[in-house]
Amino acid sequence: MKTENNNHQYDVIVIGGGITGAGTARDCAMRGLKVLLVERHDISTGATGRNHGLLHSGARYAVTDHESATECIKENMTLRKIARHCVEETDGLFITLPEDDLNFQSLFVEKCIEAGIQAEVIDPELAKTMEPAVNPELIGAVKVPDASVDPFRLTMANVLDAQLHGAKTLVSHEVIDVLVEQNRVVGVKLRNHHNGEEFNAYAQVTINAAGIWGTLIAQMAGVKINMFPAKGSLLIFGHRVNNMVINRCRKPANADILVPDDAVCVIGTTSDRVPIEACDDMRVTPEEVEVLLSEGMKLAPSLGNTRILRAYAGVRPLIASDDDPSGRSISRGIVTLDHEKRDGLAGFITITGGKMMTYRLMAEEVTNLACEKLGVNKPCITASTPLPGSEPQQESKKYSFANKASHGRHGTLDSKISTGDAASDALVCECEGVSVGEVKYAIDELHVHNLVNLRRRTRVGMGTCQGELCACRTAGVMCDSDDSAQRAINDLAGFLNERWKGMQPVAWGDNLAEAQLTATIYQGLLGVDQLTTERRADYYEI
Amino acid sequence: MKFDIIIIGGGLSGLTAGIALAQAGRDVAVISAGQSTLHFSSGSLDLLGCDNNGNIVNNPLNAIASLNASHPYKKVSNVESIAQEAKQLLTEAGITTTGDATANHWRITPIGALKPTWLSVDGMATMQDAGTMPWKRVALVNIINYLDFPTKLIAAGLRNRGIEVDIKAVTLRELNELRKSPSEMRSTNIAKVLERNNLLQGLADAINQVTVDGNYDMVLLPAVMGIDSCSAASTMLNLIAPEASYVATLPPSVPGVRMQTLLRKRFAALDGTFLTGDQVIEGNFQGNKLNSVKTAKLEGERLEADNFILATGSFMSRGLVADYNHVYEPALGVDVDSNSLDRTTWAQLNVTSAQPYMEMGVTTDTKLHCLLGGKPVSNLYAAGSILSGHNSIKLSDAAGVDMLTALQVTHNILNQQ
Repeated sequence: MKTENNNHQYDVIVIGGGITGAGTARDCAMRGLKVLLVERHDISTGATGRNHGLLHSGARYAVTDHESATECIKENMTLRKIARHCVEETDGLFITLPEDDLNFQSLFVEKCIEAGIQAEVIDPELAKTMEPAVNPELIGAVKVPDASVDPFRLTMANVLDAQLHGAKTLVSHEVIDVLVEQNRVVGVKLRNHHNGEEFNAYAQVTINAAGIWGTLIAQMAGVKINMFPAKGSLLIFGHRVNNMVINRCRKPANADILVPDDAVCVIGTTSDRVPIEACDDMRVTPEEVEVLLSEGMKLAPSLGNTRILRAYAGVRPLIASDDDPSGRSISRGIVTLDHEKRDGLAGFITITGGKMMTYRLMAEEVTNLACEKLGVNKPCITASTPLPGSEPQQESKKYSFANKASHGRHGTLDSKISTGDAASDALVCECEGVSVGEVKYAIDELHVHNLVNLRRRTRVGMGTCQGELCACRTAGVMCDSDDSAQRAINDLAGFLNERWKGMQPVAWGDNLAEAQLTATIYQGLLGVDQLTTERRADYYEI
Repeated sequence: MKFDIIIIGGGLSGLTAGIALAQAGRDVAVISAGQSTLHFSSGSLDLLGCDNNGNIVNNPLNAIASLNASHPYKKVSNVESIAQEAKQLLTEAGITTTGDATANHWRITPIGALKPTWLSVDGMATMQDAGTMPWKRVALVNIINYLDFPTKLIAAGLRNRGIEVDIKAVTLRELNELRKSPSEMRSTNIAKVLERNNLLQGLADAINQVTVDGNYDMVLLPAVMGIDSCSAASTMLNLIAPEASYVATLPPSVPGVRMQTLLRKRFAALDGTFLTGDQVIEGNFQGNKLNSVKTAKLEGERLEADNFILATGSFMSRGLVADYNHVYEPALGVDVDSNSLDRTTWAQLNVTSAQPYMEMGVTTDTKLHCLLGGKPVSNLYAAGSILSGHNSIKLSDAAGVDMLTALQVTHNILNQQ
């Protein structure tokens, strides 16, 4: 390890293990660059893991932002091909309610068509048949090619592909300094959160893809980026109320998108500016819950009597254009900052703004620039090369609930999961069909160090019971010595705290009953609280 | 239909009251939704494990004096004799236990912690003193691929206390069959397969084989034997050569399910009426009396009684319901704590903090009468986890509150007449 660390020399260092960083690492690696991807917590812990999981058709932006709309529909069609196993082709509705202006609909459709989005006006009665959960009061409906996407899976697939092309990934490694020599960024200083070790890594180009935290990275390099942290809160419901994405046909506003994701559905978002210091500990307020719930019920009234599983919030890395320091004109488009041109600081690029939807395009843009700086002339092939897991199907495994579920999660990569023997087939999570084999695969190959990592990779504990028993089972499977037994207990305590963070803002109804059951089991029956010795340093809560 | 007493709720509290009243010759009906928190049991019953400051309690009887005035034990006239009565009631139902109310002993949790407790079902591994380990060398024997018994965690906990622990695993062909559907590899299914197919000897042979050379002074097994009766559980232990005991598993709890079964059998043997799978949806009050109740399934039927006991449990048992902005008691609509109106005060941010919702419940007068509009209902009592004023997780007092308040209500009813 030591010698390897002392020899950290790369073409490109990508900072940030969100979708943008992962996509950039993939693109760079596919163009033959030697890449290091660093992430201070875990893959997709920031805004990437805290959104709707919506594969926008672009329709939402059609009226207000033609460029974003065009980018979205193009990437939408691309991701359906290259990330087949991360996408569920649900389609979406834009509904007009009696309180909305129906005249907006024709403008909306016109602008969609202009952007290349197939928008089709349908009869409200037909909309009710297509999506029985929709508010029956609707007076207008437009069908668009929205879809649902699993951001955790998509990001991991990009990381895996980057690795297959030679990239190195370091999770739980935080950039604590950006190394500048004579107006050039030459690398970064990293801290390994597992053991506290600090070391330098060097590269000719450093790419800042740290989302909202990119402003802090830029600060370390001595340049200023004018970011506008915009908090967006969302609620996850205990089952999948709708099968199509439901949007409001009006200018973007609070809580006007309901997305079906796997076995659940998600309503969001709110949008409020927050201070950068608050971005590490986002909590959903009772007022936000109120707005999300009351507006959500207008899209699908049955949300009112559906159990809310948890509340969570992410922060969009919006950016003010450089000539507008007041921040009045905030763009949601892609922003690539060549700090050599902008600030006279060579070897440093920031990629920000944009949306999860356009991550591949963002990666392409920033990789083009990095290649230009490195004198590499290779075309981008990320739009035509399937991600690992989405290659054409070879052979399929014997049918079982767990095999089917894991195929859904890992696509063709499920061939790496051992099955067929009793030990591997034992189920740890009944809600989501996660087997011991899948847990072991995730630990071995997907950078899993704790239960929350595992949750992001496999959906363990993401189902209706939110980890009631599977968390403890998994902790038992994950430890292999007395030493790791203590770590597993601390990990379990961290997992429970993380889970409670999402439940506490919505602790009423069935959710409160479930919380009491969890406390009764984990504290009363098991005594986890009494065995916990410390909070793990590499733990990051969502 | 008319009974002397109708008990709403068939968990530990409701069954305790039902048995005691039936024993006293009363005509009793229990209306039960089905499952109860006994399914999450540790195989032990807690009276008072910790005091208000979180300190371990050695002698529950002494420590009860220091509890808040709101604690349900403050409405129990003689805790010592009622605690003995509870133990006696369990014994008569076929649930023999060790322990008494003057000195807590220790149980081993399914992840290897030790917790103070009052009564442990015979066969469960216990310790008199957490400082002195009763064993030097332990074999911890699991069933292969049974994931609800995390042996590595239990072993680490015991080793931390100076015990040498070897982890072993055994299986039988019949259990492999069970494993073909992985979600069936759960405690109650294992117990049924072992017990109903006469596999205890076979399993004991397998356990003896892996423990014979180890010079163990204790063999610890997952508590997955004996779902229908105590005898299977004790037979198993007798078939193993060294001394052997059970450690609780993750839910469902076989000893807990067994306790529920035996209590129900006892109640039935005393001619009690058990209405299962039903729930009370309405009460017919007149003045300060409850005349009758209606249930979801017995449409049009009024169930009348001289006295009623509400023992439906807390939120997790649906005895209490929290909606968006208030907490209420759904069966009869009796009064709950007044601090239940502001949702933002129900739950603390830190998961291990004392959560305010844990103390919520129905309010009662000193005789455990429920209140309606602030006034006592003269023939309606509350017992068990539905009572307000204590945090059963922080105090480790759930089973004690269930049984002791149930027996106190029984006394109150019998004395009243």
